[in-house]
Amino acid sequence: MAKPSPSLYSISKTFVWFALVSLLLLGSLIAIVLLDHHRDWKNWQKKFIALKLEKTEKELKAADEKLDKKKIQDLRLEIARTESDLKAHQSERAARRKAAAALEPRLARAKARAQDLKQFQDSYKYFFEEYRVLGDRRAADFEKKLAEIAPRLTEAKADLEDLEKESEAKKAALEAFAQKEKDLQKALDQILQEKTRVEKKIANVKPSLAKDILNAPMLDFLHPSLQIQQIALDGLEDDYHFAKTQKVDRCTTCHLAIDQKGFEDAPQPFRTHPKMDLYLGAASPHPVEKFGCTVCHSGNGHSVSFITASHTPHDEAQAKEWVKKYHWREIEKWDAKMLPIQHVQAACAKCHRSVVEVPQADKLNRGRRLAARYGCFNCHKISGFEDRWKAGPDLRRVGSKVDREWVIRWLQNPRDFRSSTRMPQIFHLSNTQSPDEKNRDDAAIEAIAVYLMKNSETVELSVPPAIGNAEKGETFVKQLGCLGCHSLPGIKGGDAAAELSGLGSKVKPEWLYAWLKNPRHYSPNTRMPNLRLSDEEAADITAYLLSNCNDPFEKSAAPKARPEAVDQMLLDSMQGTMRHADAQKMLAGMTDEEKLEALGKKSIAHQGCFACHAIKGFEDQKPIGAELSNESRKDIHQFDFGFVDIEHSRRAFIAQKLRDPRGYDKGKVKAYYEKLRMPQFHLSDEEIESLTTFVLSLTDESMPLEMQKRPDLREAGVEKGRLLVSKLNCNACHALDGKTGALRALTEDPGAAPPILDGEGAKVREKWLHEFLKNPTPIRPWLTYRMPTFGLSDEETKTLVEYFAYLAHENISYKGAEVPETSPEKIEAGKKLFGQLQCAKCHEVNADSAAMGASFLAPDLTLAKKRLKPEWVKKWIEDPQTLQEGTMMPTFFADGQTPITDVLGGDAKEQIEAIRDYLYRYEAPDKTKGETREAKIPIANQAA
Amino acid sequence: MKKKVYFSAAFLTLLIAAVPASAATLGGKIAFEGRPPAIEKVKTDADPKCKMAHPDGLASDQVIVNPNGTLKNVFVYVKSGLEGKAFEAPKEPVVFDQKGCQYSPKVFGIQVNQPLEIVNSDDTLHNVHSLPTQSQAFNLGMPIKGMKLKKTFTKPEVMVKIKCEVHPWMSAWAGVLDHPFFGVSNEEGQFEIKNLPPGQYVIEAWHEKYGSQTQSVTVTDKDAETAFTFKAA
Repeated sequence: MAKPSPSLYSISKTFVWFALVSLLLLGSLIAIVLLDHHRDWKNWQKKFIALKLEKTEKELKAADEKLDKKKIQDLRLEIARTESDLKAHQSERAARRKAAAALEPRLARAKARAQDLKQFQDSYKYFFEEYRVLGDRRAADFEKKLAEIAPRLTEAKADLEDLEKESEAKKAALEAFAQKEKDLQKALDQILQEKTRVEKKIANVKPSLAKDILNAPMLDFLHPSLQIQQIALDGLEDDYHFAKTQKVDRCTTCHLAIDQKGFEDAPQPFRTHPKMDLYLGAASPHPVEKFGCTVCHSGNGHSVSFITASHTPHDEAQAKEWVKKYHWREIEKWDAKMLPIQHVQAACAKCHRSVVEVPQADKLNRGRRLAARYGCFNCHKISGFEDRWKAGPDLRRVGSKVDREWVIRWLQNPRDFRSSTRMPQIFHLSNTQSPDEKNRDDAAIEAIAVYLMKNSETVELSVPPAIGNAEKGETFVKQLGCLGCHSLPGIKGGDAAAELSGLGSKVKPEWLYAWLKNPRHYSPNTRMPNLRLSDEEAADITAYLLSNCNDPFEKSAAPKARPEAVDQMLLDSMQGTMRHADAQKMLAGMTDEEKLEALGKKSIAHQGCFACHAIKGFEDQKPIGAELSNESRKDIHQFDFGFVDIEHSRRAFIAQKLRDPRGYDKGKVKAYYEKLRMPQFHLSDEEIESLTTFVLSLTDESMPLEMQKRPDLREAGVEKGRLLVSKLNCNACHALDGKTGALRALTEDPGAAPPILDGEGAKVREKWLHEFLKNPTPIRPWLTYRMPTFGLSDEETKTLVEYFAYLAHENISYKGAEVPETSPEKIEAGKKLFGQLQCAKCHEVNADSAAMGASFLAPDLTLAKKRLKPEWVKKWIEDPQTLQEGTMMPTFFADGQTPITDVLGGDAKEQIEAIRDYLYRYEAPDKTKGETREAKIPIANQAA
Repeated sequence: MKKKVYFSAAFLTLLIAAVPASAATLGGKIAFEGRPPAIEKVKTDADPKCKMAHPDGLASDQVIVNPNGTLKNVFVYVKSGLEGKAFEAPKEPVVFDQKGCQYSPKVFGIQVNQPLEIVNSDDTLHNVHSLPTQSQAFNLGMPIKGMKLKKTFTKPEVMVKIKCEVHPWMSAWAGVLDHPFFGVSNEEGQFEIKNLPPGQYVIEAWHEKYGSQTQSVTVTDKDAETAFTFKAA
């Protein structure tokens, strides 16, 4: 019988279990410590230390090489020589010191002796003088003593001087030895300074036993040299779904040299930031302490591993490379994925709101411009961009311009008419390819044409007075400035407006003539300005533009709508609101034309044509596009990728949508009216990338106010002006605000190009500018380019005047012509200079000069006082070339020197002022009254 | 092998620089083929001072075909073959005159940083407006008879146009080079490029209306001749 156990459990078994669990625990502990010790970021830091060490060693070598070897050699030799000299003369030095020391008592003795003797001499002198006066006979004794002591004193003084000299020489010799050595050492130290600095640096970087111990497992809580680096950002939060935490960026844990110059070519993650002047630096506009990294780049700033930081590859090749190198995968749960580098400018818009263009963000700005160009803002509501204009022409009077057949051909595929058109293709796209869908598309096209024609107002059109000359018309088109906005077939001009091709196959001559004479007569809101063409000019241009035809387009088919397709589509559209039988009954009572018009209305509403074009009957309709105000933060699961096999990311979705807007319908079963409607813009890859950047910039994320770029009153005025300037396309002709005028670039002679408007606000008076913008009158008669009349409202004009003034840091004053204070003498001098410098040679237009060819004519100076600001005139006379590069106006004061020495003492500055003052009182001679070139001078200091 | 040629060329250059007497002169003639264009008369009525200088009108100086059938004012220069050599700019200025409402010389060569002395010998206002693309442009008003101004070009450029906006018919051309090897054809159609060290060169001849032509020329230490022919347009 087994002996009953004394306890309830087996002790030996317990020991075994205990040992096992302990071992397991120990194993886990070791594993934890080891895993922690080998974390990703520590390896990166070690690698960086190695890199830095290598780099510093190279620096050392370079510093070493930079040293003047010969000089060092010489210095070293000299030091050695000095040292050996010092050593060799050690005994002598000692002897000298000894001698110098030994001299001391002798010196003291000699000093004492000389002093003694001097005292004796003084007392002998005293007694001698005393006794001699008293008549004492002892006077003779003292006289004798006095005579005896004199040579002894002289001798003693000489001895003392000799000794002093000897002592000084010996001390100096000693000193010289030491000083020489000191100087040499100092020179050497200076030369070796750079090397020493780098050597110290290396010592800091170099791994050492002490560092190893501090970084050792379990000990690394003390003060390790490998540490997580982080930037905590006040006022910013990371969203962890239902929980928000302060934003912390630990990117610099691995990107260790991001803010250090010198690692521009280092492998990632150790490369220096490529735009240090703009980012990171304390003096840059975006210091790293304030902005961190993920504010711009996105990604998970808390993470210190490659994968969980949510790095995003910029293309598939990089994705593959990363998978291979780092086992990279996408972090599905993290919403704010890092922006791939080609779209990083999207982040600028978070803080740079309410500006037309973000400085230096070229791609984002290009995206915004493209969005305006293609009318994205017309269909899609995007907050911040509500004030954009309609991209397409007004169609409320289209019947006066084109005919029904043309509209039908055009809508088939607008690019068949003009390959450069901005009008997208709406029909016959990838999701309407079945025969039934094609029929429906054709029916919709004719229906739209019918609706537009039926709902078009008629405009009164006048016939050209004579048949124009196409050749002359071509010259006008090239010389008046049309090319600023339009291109011609084969001639690259601007692209803000339509290419002027194929018009002979499109518009009616009387429409074109009326349009050229006054675009607003046809379209009250058009951006096309009025060139103030004469009847003859307009007729010539009409003839020229109509001479270009598109024959294949004219001959192409204009498919008719099939009645059954029209009926079916109308029935489909009425399905939701009417019983089928009622709908059929209603259709039966309609004529074909009525049906087409009804379908046209439905089709325009369905396709959203009215968003870009003004169309009668659609004045209050809401555009059909989805709102995109927060598109960059829309949940990825809300994007319908359908059966399109692409990466599931926002940027991939957007790019694919832009490339093939109807593509996500692939493989789906959808009724005609359920299909995707975004039209095909035929964008280039580069346009798609820019537009994607733009869409990725759309966010409602609120940034702290102090991080945002918030414009002050003047900046806001400039921005308002910038938007209007972009709408009016002022840059098509003028160089302005950092942009070169397109027409200026096309013009060979800068003197014949449209003027540079930089600094215009400092140049012209606000009152004059306001009047000029409302009603431009020629200032530079020699220019063939013509400043058009834009028909600006008072508000728009004010916006532009303020824009120019603020841009030039000027204050706004609508005061009239103020005349600068001066004296009659100065005006007289000004008049004399005006004559001697022969200003009127160019600044006066007469019949003879006009006959010579216009190139040398200059502005009428009677305009100056109304137009120009007095301070500017002085600068202009002094050096016109710096204010208006390439101007025909020469400087008469080259290098600040005047050619006329007998007026106002030859003082150039005084002379310039005198000319200016004269100019503000200058009246052109009135030829009708038989006046000569003499100017009338009103009494000084009176306002004109 | 090629290196050797360079070395010996460099050696020769040194030798020649030391003994300038042995440097060669490249000369030649600019022939003109075809019918010379009709001489246009310029109207100078607007400026009475100009009209006084040319009472019968002023002949355009754009194309001047000499009586011997050669072309005047062709700028001939060494376009390449001097790479890597530096030549100091002469202190002596090129004098550029405005006389009788015409420029003289009409076509000239000048070295980079060599002073250009601009003179107005007319009793009327001229402006001298240079239109370089490489150097800083200048536009100087010269209202006083006899006044002189100095300017330089800082970068080589063939050619730089100079014009007067007061008198639109006035234009001149400057060939700005970083070496002294250039010449302009004269009333006989002759040009000369002096002191040219032996070597292989590309020579270009430029004319305002007829464009430019190039030739490869090998220069030894003996004077050489070459010729260009421009054809009527």
